[in-house]
Amino acid sequence: MELLVFLIAFPIVAAALLLCVRNDIGRGAITCVSAGVIACASIVLAVEHLGTEGVYFDAASEYIDYLCTLISSICVVIIIAFSLKYKRLLAGVLAALQIGAVFVVEFGFAHEMEVPQGLYIDSFSILMALIIGIIGSGICVYALGYMKDFQHHEPEDAKDRRPVFFALMFIFLSAMFAIVFSNNMSWIFTAWEVTTLCSFLLIGYTKTDEAIANAFRQIVMNLLGGIAFIFALFYCALELKTFSFVEFIATGITSPDLVLIPVILLAFAGITKAAQMPFQTWLLGAMVAPTPTSALLHSSTMVKAGVFLLVKLAPCFLVSPVPSIMVMLVGAITFLLCSFMAISQTNAKRVLAYSTIANLGLITACAGVGSPEAVWAAIFLILFHAIAKSLLFLCVGTAEHHIGSRDIEDMDLLFERMPRLARFMMLGIMCMFIAPFGMLIAKWATLVSFADMDQIALILILAFGSAATFMFWAKWLGKLAGIAGSPENVETTVHKSEWAALVLMAALLIVCCVLIPYISWGIVIPYEVSVYGLAVQDISNDNLWLASICVFVVVIALFTGIGRSKAKKVDIYLSGINIDDDTRTFRNSLSGETQAIVRNWYMESLFGESKIAPIGVIFNSVIMVAALVLALCGLTLI
Amino acid sequence: MQIMDILIVLGGSVAFAILAPIIGCLLAGIDRVISARMQGRVGPPLLQPYYDVRKLFAKEKVTVNSVQDVYVICALIFAILAGGIFFTGGNLLMCVFVITLSSLFFIIAAYSSRSPYAEVGAARETIQVMSYEPMVLIFAVAFYMATTFISPEGIPGSFNVSEIFSLDMPVIGPMVLVFLGLLFILTIKLRKSPFDLSMSHHAHQEIVRGMTTEMSGSTLALVEITHWCENVLFLGWIAIFFVWSNPVSIALAIVVALLVYFLEIFIDNNFARVKWQFMFKSAWIVALVCGGVNLAVLAFL
Repeated sequence: MELLVFLIAFPIVAAALLLCVRNDIGRGAITCVSAGVIACASIVLAVEHLGTEGVYFDAASEYIDYLCTLISSICVVIIIAFSLKYKRLLAGVLAALQIGAVFVVEFGFAHEMEVPQGLYIDSFSILMALIIGIIGSGICVYALGYMKDFQHHEPEDAKDRRPVFFALMFIFLSAMFAIVFSNNMSWIFTAWEVTTLCSFLLIGYTKTDEAIANAFRQIVMNLLGGIAFIFALFYCALELKTFSFVEFIATGITSPDLVLIPVILLAFAGITKAAQMPFQTWLLGAMVAPTPTSALLHSSTMVKAGVFLLVKLAPCFLVSPVPSIMVMLVGAITFLLCSFMAISQTNAKRVLAYSTIANLGLITACAGVGSPEAVWAAIFLILFHAIAKSLLFLCVGTAEHHIGSRDIEDMDLLFERMPRLARFMMLGIMCMFIAPFGMLIAKWATLVSFADMDQIALILILAFGSAATFMFWAKWLGKLAGIAGSPENVETTVHKSEWAALVLMAALLIVCCVLIPYISWGIVIPYEVSVYGLAVQDISNDNLWLASICVFVVVIALFTGIGRSKAKKVDIYLSGINIDDDTRTFRNSLSGETQAIVRNWYMESLFGESKIAPIGVIFNSVIMVAALVLALCGLTLI
Repeated sequence: MQIMDILIVLGGSVAFAILAPIIGCLLAGIDRVISARMQGRVGPPLLQPYYDVRKLFAKEKVTVNSVQDVYVICALIFAILAGGIFFTGGNLLMCVFVITLSSLFFIIAAYSSRSPYAEVGAARETIQVMSYEPMVLIFAVAFYMATTFISPEGIPGSFNVSEIFSLDMPVIGPMVLVFLGLLFILTIKLRKSPFDLSMSHHAHQEIVRGMTTEMSGSTLALVEITHWCENVLFLGWIAIFFVWSNPVSIALAIVVALLVYFLEIFIDNNFARVKWQFMFKSAWIVALVCGGVNLAVLAFL
């Protein structure tokens, strides 16, 4: 209990300190120490509660409720101030609407809604706490070096706003802890709004026109989700007379009709936050922010809050067809179409963004299926996606600062220019799409859970989407793997803090991939037992261990095997006399110089954004509207 | 218990590593003899593929970079492991994933050379994988659903290949459409014309040599052996459609696999290479129609 409060409160203290300290050394020290403390605290928490089926703590106070209202109000005031400053009225109007609803709920009903046990911890929140505490704070450490370079690239007279940046990162972590530990839904809502606001400020950090535009797109979409959330609370207050999340889910299992509307509203909130189509554009726009922001948004925070909520609601979806079909289809269509669109992208961060949205879609679809097997798969997808994506974003960020581009076509020869970084990047990419690494094990489990539920459409979508996934990762991997002559190694100037974070992520990735059976036994199965009362695992342990052995082989090949060949070296064949293997120039038959240029395939004509995105936007919008209309009619019919 | 299962798979992989190259080599020899007869030539002796590979091993070790051979070795190791998983009755999905890993290593090996020709081949191979992957996954899922359907009441289905020996009838019955779909993409997997886009063994179809442009000597020999192992594995996939609890069925399955192999040789010799667009679209349409309808029927049953 104390540890939970500590994890929520401590990052705020760190943020306050960071806001005051303006020199590099002080910031570095505070960030590293706080990150270490948060990581250790989350590990201690995990060890203390390992295998728990859920512990609920007495935590209720009017003052906390008032504090939540105050925080919500501050968020809204900030949003309205920005919307006036930049003349974006829609955001301001939505924010005002939301705060109105908050006041109605808070002062109209909240005093009747006692949630004696406001805090809890179960195995799923342990896993989330580990992701937030270790990966999230690792990214904060990485940001130290990155933001130094970033500030260096800024114009001379640019104001150093790094204190705000780091403070926001830590507030983000605090809000995430609050989301995964709170049992009081109005507290979850407050933290939910804080994450929305933090990401709004982080996306708009550079204050360029593009950044401002994308930040406002983010805030409008997420405010819609927030409004859906507060309406769900309103409904709970009226009909269920409780804000307790665990009771809400229990009601959802026993009498699904009673909570049909709030479940759909909460699912909608989760879908907006998880950037599912038609809301995918906010996450794509978010990449204008400095890379640590992207890493944080994509891996351990923000979007993970969305899928966390959806996976929590999974048992309700299992017994309630309307929201289940809505969530399944929205997630599956997003997975399929975003995997397709990733093929047509040359910008590395955009590929990563589409892959994030696609994987979140898969998690969403799993949540929609709602069976224990699907939840097993969804939790592993969350875990491995967080690790691999943070590793990849950090790699791309570092590469960008050292080769001056985030275009995949410019990552030619990275294996030689930045040998260690390229290996990390290859490891991250492999983890995303190929067996025996974690993501594919989770996808395997997903496939089995879909087959068990006879979800033919989902099976087909997964089969085709996975094939597209193979395409866009494999061609990127191939680009990285190229080796020619001996270009200059530009890796030596990478900051120590960046290496530390990269090594941490890579090590986490390998350890988690190898130890899947233990993670399943210690964390995921206990959660299943606590929710469904039964322990099932899609993939037998012997297959998991076999996968672990494969991981071992691949890692050894990647980090120690390659580059040791003693064979005689020769030039490649280029239809002439080779001049330079790096640029692939050769002397042609007319004694002139010719350069051989090969580009990857992007298949714009088949998988272009302009062709595919509208399909998903329209399809998913129709599905969600239909689900809501059905739910409302269902009620009026009764 | 778990350790036993893993040891069985690893032991099976060792056995596969010895037997599959022998069988695969003979199959390749038969392929060349039959192809020659179809083209009205005498053709090489049956063991010509073996002589070729033996000669490759004797060549001087020459390479364009220091990493390619490691990738090729990884491709071979995982192809063997996939075979070991399959023929010890292991998990079909695991087998599918491990063979995909093997393909990936081969693709990286080709990319790593930075030869423009090899890169074109590697890009085409990536498209080939994307083309056949849906059908292969659907095959594995359909197998699971078909065993569920055939198994006696109360016994759940399984992805384990060994499950077929406890069935009263072969799985071909409820998954005939999937079988046809798998036959279609088998041409891609066996690298037969018209779908041999990434590297062709017909000299007239190729500018240089696709993926293996910069591979020589023992590395090229390992590529050839990997290909043999893969062929044996893929024919195994075909064979399990016809196996059930009756031991005689194994003989039947082998005959069918050989017939299918003959069919592939026939196709190989009678069709010119197509463009990738046709391969990709046709493979996905076949997977969607055959796989989708078959899965829907299985779910309905």
